[in-house]
Amino acid sequence: MVRDYNNRHALDQKLRGAPKPAHADHLEVGHWQAIATVLAHVGLDAAVERALSSTPDLSLRYCGPGEWLVVSGVDTPVGLMRRLDMLCGTQAHVVDHSDGRVLMRLSGPSARQILAKGIGVDLHPAAFVLCGSTNVLCGHIAINLARTGEDVFELIVSRSFAESLFEDLMTMGRPFDLSAAFSE
Amino acid sequence: MASLITCPHCGVRPKEEFAIRGDASLVRPAPSASDEAWHDYVYVRANPRGRTVEHWHHVAGCRRFLVVERDTVTHEVYSVVDGAAAAREAQR
Repeated sequence: MVRDYNNRHALDQKLRGAPKPAHADHLEVGHWQAIATVLAHVGLDAAVERALSSTPDLSLRYCGPGEWLVVSGVDTPVGLMRRLDMLCGTQAHVVDHSDGRVLMRLSGPSARQILAKGIGVDLHPAAFVLCGSTNVLCGHIAINLARTGEDVFELIVSRSFAESLFEDLMTMGRPFDLSAAFSE
Repeated sequence: MASLITCPHCGVRPKEEFAIRGDASLVRPAPSASDEAWHDYVYVRANPRGRTVEHWHHVAGCRRFLVVERDTVTHEVYSVVDGAAAAREAQR
């Protein structure tokens, strides 16, 4: 018997149905976001970082020394891989993670209060600066947290943990009337 | 236990983000060393009171091994260094 392979989003089950209007605090889940991991070869951290940050529409998320998650809002996964290979293919290992990671964008005036329930870093605007990013533990799930706007945070999580993190976030956001939907 | 660790790559983090991987002061014996020396290295551990040096793995953060010097009585943390940097320092 031959079955069609259905490529479903990790949160398809959770966010099925007609889109509801976004509240003040809103969790937006990216549909097929292009994400790649870049790990610089030994001693080439600075060169790779320079090459990556010279490109305006690539967003760099710090993971550790010489390691980044690269998020692109304009490329397809294949396109992102091709660009990264051209940029730093000889200086770093590049791995496509578009299907392996899920990106969630939490925005709204209470975003910090919601995140503070599960995250052990200082989220004050002066401490967690704009465009800052880091790996943190949210509850029991390791995520990459980035601040992309004044009150906008992006969370990148492994696909297998996405559903669990989504439920945690919705529980954390219940007192603030947090809404959730797929991005357009 | 020391509850806040200042990771050299990630900043101040709660201890829940780390896994403790044991004594960092042990020196691996030569391959030709006696069975007793190898047995001690692999299995025998002290349960120290006071200042200790340990390997901590920042599992949920930068995923780097760190060398943490802390006090098991007062919970004070004296120093946190990246494991690779500590190894380079020791080789000198």
